[in-house]
Amino acid sequence: MNFDSRKYVFIIIFVLVGILYASKLFYMQVVDDTWKIRAQQIAEKRREITPPRAVVFDRTGKKIVANKTYYNLMMVEKNIKNLDTVAFAKLIGWTKQEVRQRFFDIRKGEGRYYNRHTGKTTSNYQKIRPYPFIKELTAEEMVTIAARLEDFQGFYKEVTSMRNYPYANGANILGYLSEVNQQEIDKDKFYKPGGHIGRSGIERFYEKEFRGVKGIKYIVTSALNNTVGSWENGKYDTTAVQAPPIKLGIDIELQAYGEKLLENKRGCIVAIEPSTGEILALVSSPNYDPNLLVGNRKIRENYPKLLANPDKPLFPRPLASAYMPGSTFKLLQSLIGMQEGVITKESGFPCNKSVVGCHNHPSAQNVTDAVKMSCNPYFYAVTRRIIQQGKKSSSEEDAEYGLGRWAKYMHSFGLGERLGTDITGLKAGNIPDPKYYDKWYGHHHWKFSTIRSISIGQGEVQLTPLHLANMAAIMANRGWYITPHFVKGFGKKGPREEYTIKHKTMVERSNFLPVVEGMRRVVYEAGGTARRARVEGVTVCGKTGTIENYRGPLKLRNHSAFIAFAPMNNPKIAISVFIENAGGGGGTWAAPIASLMIEQYIYGKVKPSPKEKRILDAVLLKKER
Amino acid sequence: MRKNQSIIGNFDWPLFIGYILLLLMGIGTVYSVAFDPEHPNLFDISEKYGKQIMWLGISLFLGLLVFLIDSDIYRKFSLPIYGFTLSLLIIVLFMPAVNGARAWLGIGSMGIQPAEFAKIGTAILLARYLSTANIKQQSRKTVLIANAIILVPMVLILLQPDAGTFVVFTSFLFVLYREGVSYDPIIIPILNAIPINGIHFKKTWIGTHFIPILFVVIFLSVTTLLLSNSTINIETLGIELAGYWGVFFFLAIISTIGYFFMRMIFSRRDRKRAAIIAIIGFVLSVMLTSVVDLGFQKLAGHQKKRIELVLGLRQDPNGDDYNRNRAMAAVGSGGLLGKGYRNATVSSVQTNHVPESETDFIFCPFAEEWGFAGSLVLVFLYLFMILRIVVIAERQKSSFNRIYAYSVAMILFYHFAINIGMNIEFAPVIGIPLPFFSYGGSSMMSFSMMMFILLKLDSQRKDVLN
Repeated sequence: MNFDSRKYVFIIIFVLVGILYASKLFYMQVVDDTWKIRAQQIAEKRREITPPRAVVFDRTGKKIVANKTYYNLMMVEKNIKNLDTVAFAKLIGWTKQEVRQRFFDIRKGEGRYYNRHTGKTTSNYQKIRPYPFIKELTAEEMVTIAARLEDFQGFYKEVTSMRNYPYANGANILGYLSEVNQQEIDKDKFYKPGGHIGRSGIERFYEKEFRGVKGIKYIVTSALNNTVGSWENGKYDTTAVQAPPIKLGIDIELQAYGEKLLENKRGCIVAIEPSTGEILALVSSPNYDPNLLVGNRKIRENYPKLLANPDKPLFPRPLASAYMPGSTFKLLQSLIGMQEGVITKESGFPCNKSVVGCHNHPSAQNVTDAVKMSCNPYFYAVTRRIIQQGKKSSSEEDAEYGLGRWAKYMHSFGLGERLGTDITGLKAGNIPDPKYYDKWYGHHHWKFSTIRSISIGQGEVQLTPLHLANMAAIMANRGWYITPHFVKGFGKKGPREEYTIKHKTMVERSNFLPVVEGMRRVVYEAGGTARRARVEGVTVCGKTGTIENYRGPLKLRNHSAFIAFAPMNNPKIAISVFIENAGGGGGTWAAPIASLMIEQYIYGKVKPSPKEKRILDAVLLKKER
Repeated sequence: MRKNQSIIGNFDWPLFIGYILLLLMGIGTVYSVAFDPEHPNLFDISEKYGKQIMWLGISLFLGLLVFLIDSDIYRKFSLPIYGFTLSLLIIVLFMPAVNGARAWLGIGSMGIQPAEFAKIGTAILLARYLSTANIKQQSRKTVLIANAIILVPMVLILLQPDAGTFVVFTSFLFVLYREGVSYDPIIIPILNAIPINGIHFKKTWIGTHFIPILFVVIFLSVTTLLLSNSTINIETLGIELAGYWGVFFFLAIISTIGYFFMRMIFSRRDRKRAAIIAIIGFVLSVMLTSVVDLGFQKLAGHQKKRIELVLGLRQDPNGDDYNRNRAMAAVGSGGLLGKGYRNATVSSVQTNHVPESETDFIFCPFAEEWGFAGSLVLVFLYLFMILRIVVIAERQKSSFNRIYAYSVAMILFYHFAINIGMNIEFAPVIGIPLPFFSYGGSSMMSFSMMMFILLKLDSQRKDVLN
């Protein structure tokens, strides 16, 4: 029998399989993209390179926030061979148990992975992957370890960059960085676990301006996760770009001097350049060295201590602490009175101590002298005229109208609202308006006599020291202000547009002149309250404030407040000083401190004097009563 | 002198050139995959490419020896040769296991795998036995002896265990089919033992075409299982179909192609038969595949899982299906023209995402680097080789030569189909080398010897009369 025709069975099978294979290969390689994507998943990895954050310069060009090289001690478990735990622990200054515990913690920290196909749960930890064994070692610490590191296979050092502050000042302005949390990672793709984010201060406010642009490198990795080469010869790679340096309006020398003056005192100084609104110094005392909160290790160590400190060094008082402004507030009452036309600059009121207490001085015959002498009854009368203008039938309705007008003026000075400064943690303070008192007393159940303490800046009025400084700047500018701000430029660019806009108050320039003259007399004339505020060669205009305060029925020591600007013509600096529980009046502590600050800023140094020594030696921290 | 001239004159150059081309492509790929920048020399014996070239040299030397020896000795000494390869298969069982299998004879990388050479021994004895004058294709004795010749080495190989080579040995069954060995002597007594209306079978269609039917059944079952697990998504038409429809369309296309192919080769009066065969084949295949598909769905969970595992079906890219998933990613990412020579990103030895990328999975780096263009060339080259061997087989006067040639064609086809098939989800993942391509001395030498014996037999085809 002949079976030759069976060769066709073979030929058919061979040809069919050939066609089938060629078609499947065509589908897989040319038509379907699934496997190309899968190949990328397998072999291509995106490595993100985070640039160091922007450096910060002060207004004189001194670098005040820099980046410093730190080291992570990395380990790859697979490469560790015959680890002499005792010797290794000795090298890094740990105990043997701590080293063991660290290995355990790293493994535990990686979490576990549930495979739904096999039903097995395995650790995400991989022996072939590098993990940081100790993070954030300084160069000095690394030197001793690095010398002997080659004895310990599987360990190596990795360079990282962290913040460094050449000046230990301005911690509450600059803020600090810490590791991102899961929420932040989910919200913004920029952040990856272990990355850093600005946690407070300008680092937080300008996070996007600080962080720069990440570089992305596409690499080919092996099954063991080692880098084999670049993907497509780096065609798609981008380089990391550090954000341009950020220039602050802060004068770091002035800031440092202010912090020195407020040592052992609880209080604030805020200094502003009136013409630009740039903040020259913002001192909160007590404060802390910003270098204490660099890196996880130090944050873990120092943050709880700072938080537990009863003097609250982490609390940015000038921004977030609202105080009664006391007599400094009288400046505004006279301005509003004149603008509203309820008084003129020549109006005189007797110093009638029966309505409100006052110190001994002749009755003021005009606004200028009233400011100089800070006469309580005078401003009581002025404010009464503002509130009760006699335009409505009942005095309650009248007071509602008057206070409404008054509050509007106050808001035009930026008071009673958040100033919009480029930092987080701002407080609005309080300027009471009719609605506010309606809540307290009921609609039309209050009039001027009910709320009279606002006339001398006590009672319900609350302002932050930043508000006070801005008030000083308005006085210096005779009627306008630019929102106080820290950042005057990003690289070659200027500040944000909102910090170039002049805000006009509702009071005309002409009405400022007698008040400003009064501020000069406060410092220079007999009967003025702040003769300690004088600075040689510069005309200082100022206004004191003495704030009585109580804790329940207990009278505490007065707060001492002072606002000023200098020189009188073409002012360079406007300042507010607020010392808690200092005792005495505004002229006792706040005024001399302000004068020293002005001297430091105008001359770049301060001549040693008994005045300076008195301030530096004063310890006002522990006394509240 | 006259005899030598006839050898050169009757030498089959196309097959030889195909063989050389595959060898060169193979070495090129091994050089790309195993490239070590510290030893860039192609002939560096410490590297895999250097060793591969050494194996090539040895193989060509063996080929030369084969050409110097008179081809008659294979016929004369077929039984001793078969016995020798069997003894090697027995000895190897007492060797220490490497990767869980006792497959290696010798030391380290210089060892050989007797299973590779057992194919030659089996092919020669099978050819010798089936070429015996007056052999009865329909006798029980023939079918039993022929199957025994194949089965004995298979059992020994399974003991190693080496599942891949075990499967390859089933290719000899096709040779039995070509020679007309019928399975009726086994099947008919079984059928006749069942009393159905007193029907007494003398000859069955199944018995006659037992092997191709078995092959088609297994092939269709496997593809059904592989395909029915997935869904077919035709995005442009917005159609999503169950995987079984893929099998259905596949069968319809194959039947149509088969019909026209049969029309071409059948004589005019048989054309009606072609249509009937195509339709019956289609209906039977659909019935078979739907039974397999439904049966599989009905299976209990753990049985299902076992079958899925054997077929490499479980889609767990990091688990059981690691190799195939990565192999497919490597092949599929090659695109039309590939990533370029030595630019494989998934399957190079440096990245090592595809295990065994220089041996069993060598098609991956080749397809990744040369894309569909390269893959197509390779598929056509293998197909050309296999069909050329069929042409050679059919021109032999001696049935010994023809049977041997068919054995070579089928072994080559099995290796090609399984090795490339496991990269493209057409075959289960079974570790067998790609002939002439994969790194490794044993397969290189055994396939070369197989080739040269064939070329030698063919060149002397005119000297033989029976």
